[in-house]
Amino acid sequence: MYALGVAIDATLITLVLALAAFGLAIIFGLIGVINMGHGAMLTAGAYITWVCQTNGVPFLLAVLVAAVAVAVIGLVLEHVLIRHFYDRPFETLLLTWAFFLITTEVIKIIFGPEFRSVTNPLPDAITIGGIHVPAYRAAVALFALALIVTSAVVLYRTSLGIKIRGLIQNRQMAALLGLNIGLTYKLVFMAGCFMAGLAGGLITPMLSIDPYIGNVYLVRSFFVVAVGGVGQLLGGTMIGSFLIGGSETIFAVVSEQAVAQTIVFALAILVLRLRPRGVLTPR
Amino acid sequence: MKYTAALMRAPLSRRATLKGMTAMAGTAAAASTLGFVGAARGDEPIKVGMISPLTGAWTVYGAAHSAGFELAVDEINEAGGILGRQVEIVVGDSRTEPRVVVEQANRLIRQERVDFLAGTFSSAERNAAGPVVEASGKVLLYPTFYEGQLQEYFPGVCNPNIYMFGPEPTQQVWPHMEYILENFGKKFFMIGSDYAWPQVTNLFTRQKLEELGGEVVGEVYIPFNTPQYESVLRDIRESGADVIFHTLTGSDTVNFRQQYAAAGMKNDFTLWTVDDEEVVTTGLGPDVSANDYVSFDYFMSIEHPNNAAFLERLRAKFGDDVLMNTVGVAMYNAAHMAALALNQAGEVSTEALRGYLGDLEFNDAPQGPVWMRALDNQLVLPSYLMKVREGWTGVSDMFEEIQNFQGVEPQNAQCDSLPLGQ
Amino acid sequence: MTTTSSAIPAGRAGRSRRLLTENAAAVAVFAILGVLPLLFGGYVIYILPQYMLYGVLAMSLALMWGYAGILSFGQAAFFALGGYTMGLVMQAIGAPEAAYLGILVAATIGAALAALVGYFLFSAGVRDTYFVIVTLALSIMVEQIAVSQSQITGGWNGMFVDRMDLAFGPLGAVSLWDDWAIYYVVLPVVALVYGVLRWQIQGPFGKILAGIRENEDRMVALGFRTPLYKTVAFAVSGAMCGLAGALYATHASFVSPSLGGVLFSTEIVVWVAIAGRQSLLAALLGGIVVASLSNYLSSVAPEYWQLFLGLLFILAIVFFRGGVAGVFAQLGRPRGGE
Repeated sequence: MYALGVAIDATLITLVLALAAFGLAIIFGLIGVINMGHGAMLTAGAYITWVCQTNGVPFLLAVLVAAVAVAVIGLVLEHVLIRHFYDRPFETLLLTWAFFLITTEVIKIIFGPEFRSVTNPLPDAITIGGIHVPAYRAAVALFALALIVTSAVVLYRTSLGIKIRGLIQNRQMAALLGLNIGLTYKLVFMAGCFMAGLAGGLITPMLSIDPYIGNVYLVRSFFVVAVGGVGQLLGGTMIGSFLIGGSETIFAVVSEQAVAQTIVFALAILVLRLRPRGVLTPR
Repeated sequence: MKYTAALMRAPLSRRATLKGMTAMAGTAAAASTLGFVGAARGDEPIKVGMISPLTGAWTVYGAAHSAGFELAVDEINEAGGILGRQVEIVVGDSRTEPRVVVEQANRLIRQERVDFLAGTFSSAERNAAGPVVEASGKVLLYPTFYEGQLQEYFPGVCNPNIYMFGPEPTQQVWPHMEYILENFGKKFFMIGSDYAWPQVTNLFTRQKLEELGGEVVGEVYIPFNTPQYESVLRDIRESGADVIFHTLTGSDTVNFRQQYAAAGMKNDFTLWTVDDEEVVTTGLGPDVSANDYVSFDYFMSIEHPNNAAFLERLRAKFGDDVLMNTVGVAMYNAAHMAALALNQAGEVSTEALRGYLGDLEFNDAPQGPVWMRALDNQLVLPSYLMKVREGWTGVSDMFEEIQNFQGVEPQNAQCDSLPLGQ
Repeated sequence: MTTTSSAIPAGRAGRSRRLLTENAAAVAVFAILGVLPLLFGGYVIYILPQYMLYGVLAMSLALMWGYAGILSFGQAAFFALGGYTMGLVMQAIGAPEAAYLGILVAATIGAALAALVGYFLFSAGVRDTYFVIVTLALSIMVEQIAVSQSQITGGWNGMFVDRMDLAFGPLGAVSLWDDWAIYYVVLPVVALVYGVLRWQIQGPFGKILAGIRENEDRMVALGFRTPLYKTVAFAVSGAMCGLAGALYATHASFVSPSLGGVLFSTEIVVWVAIAGRQSLLAALLGGIVVASLSNYLSSVAPEYWQLFLGLLFILAIVFFRGGVAGVFAQLGRPRGGE
């Protein structure tokens, strides 16, 4: 009973973290950019959802609007800055960090520093084998699973996906085959931003909306991606999320929360050392 | 922790004597002020340094924090200033960083040459300012509800130059324990953020709880910025607790309470928070916060004539949507009490401020009369227990008063020498 | 993966001219810093030592980023570690001489942790952006540990550190409570750190680091054990941060966990990016000037200052890879040189 409870908790945390990290994983995994602005994009998604909902837009539509809006912001960022620096990983990292700093300030100026909240669309708990599970969180977890599996199918089973992956493996070859590299990168970057906005919108009923909401997931998301490994969208994100989020729950059973967090980070560094290209790659 | 029960409440007669004394001093001061007004008109303004979290993680509390002080200074200036001199606020932004507090406190004192400081928000920020005011011999007026004074943390506390205008745990929690125990049960589950204020608050709460025959069935501390609470909620559910005693701070308080409500647990437990004032409760919204209990020295919704007048002036200055809270009101009281003290002293200096702040009574405080203890620089305050109304629409109908106590004395500070500075 | 080549010309004549200019500029900067207390008093003299120590932090990053081509988002972790070490040593040993020991231990621990983390990762070939993420985590872990181990560190509420005395054994001690006194203790230390580092950078060690930055695989092929050199560079950088942290702690008299946090770590990156990552002097000045401006402007327009700094940061990355120093170098170069 207790074990089942821990297992369910760990699963929920893993999947919600996977959702929050997925946008980052897409951008890093497919085009090699560490999007340090990811946290600010989650925050932007959350605020746009809040603005829409307070103006009477239904929750799901509000989340969709947020995702599209963040994708557009991402498009502008990519077109103006990022696309000129794809071959320089440090520069893209720093530029996206600057984006984070600026966006956080702009959000504070526009929306103010107050805590905001949206109405939870599924406010109750469901019971699984005697364990109470918050309905909304369970729904988000299932959605995250579906989203990541669908994306993986698109990437590995459709011709578009195969083209995109081919592009990443060999840019010259892809160019010779007539693929528009610039456009593909742009689309991938936008897709990652879309996912960030979507995640930002979907986490609003669970978290306080303030200018720092994205920070909560920022570092955890980086670890998910780094531990999961480049290009391992499905398995990497899932295993990374479990190692970073789910295992924290399990450690917290035997130790204090703060200690559990430190253990998890130390463990993540260890994994990075032993498998610098991600847990799923052979040595 | 060395917090042993030193339950030395000042006898009531003491208050009466104090009242008489301050009243007399007040008349004398008024007379001297009138005399000075003409002569001192050309004088330079009195500069006061205000350190508020205007940017950074706790910006959300910065607005009320600075608004309370600004309103009081406006009122002081309209009434003729201090000793006929106008009061000028010099602002320092703490950026919610203790590191920056060190810089700003020094800037205000050494460069702006302010006469005293007010503000800082968290205990860490106050501690950062402690060595600065100690070295420079300036006074800091500190507004936030806090963990009480323990010599170990000198010069952040037990510092003769730091005056506390917010409640400590025995003022904020103890008066309402009996009501909660009688009505909701004796088993407490304590959840707090992982730092000194929640830990010490819980220590005091546990002490009183056990005295009254209750028990603590769980106690957890959560690191800052924790997004998920599944395991804690499960522990609470299985602990058999009646009351959740809540000392989480910042965005974590909102995260926890949202997930607690989403888990459908609101009907099974009574939640009592000593952190979530108007700003946080506004962020929670009516669904999540309804029927929970909160205790503080001040709420916007308390029915006191002082408060009605205070809110009217506040709204006239900052608009109808302004949010006020315990910290902002403490800043308001701090400014007024400093002005009263200096007016009585007849001069502006650290000695004057310290000499006259001790035992000073302020009858116009929005929460009801308050007075400063000369013994340990700690304010005697009212204490209110409120219940969050169902379906509240704004700060004016957010809280419903359950009970209040006026003139609640704090526990004596655990400092090496009391009275402080002697 | 290789980082792109430096923005600075490699011509021998241009290079030696540039070195001379930087040396002259350094002498000028330290001379000005040396006479400032004669011209100003009060706050400026109080706060400058703290900003000079930020300057040391900036130099420690410039060493890694500008010279070795390794970006670190974790410099503040070592700074905080140094600060706490200083406080703990001074608490544990009451004697006035404890401060020296504190500084020494702080620098050593900074170096040791950096060496440990550095070798652990570099030897496995962890590079580039992965290293950034690990250092970012290091920052968070140090902050987290400082918060959670409150019996030792005072937790989130911070720790008080006494202002040190300049002890001369049996001859007595000079109190450094005076702003002047501590100014003239910190300044020579900062100058010494700069001098030694610059001397090393111009020698074989600096050339090897530059070689690693330009093309690590080639250096490996040439027989250099690059992980070792990178580890040494990181250890030196960690020692600098530890030293700066120790002096900062005793100067500010207070340390708290956020000193090791991500926000401070990334602030250092912003200073160095704007000032110029490939010049130690520029980094030093960046730390001092940007921190001063932050202090001054944040009291005038708090929100907009952060915004402005962010935009400046972008400009530096996009258009001026050498930062402000790079711009000066461009202006000073004879026409038609490249």
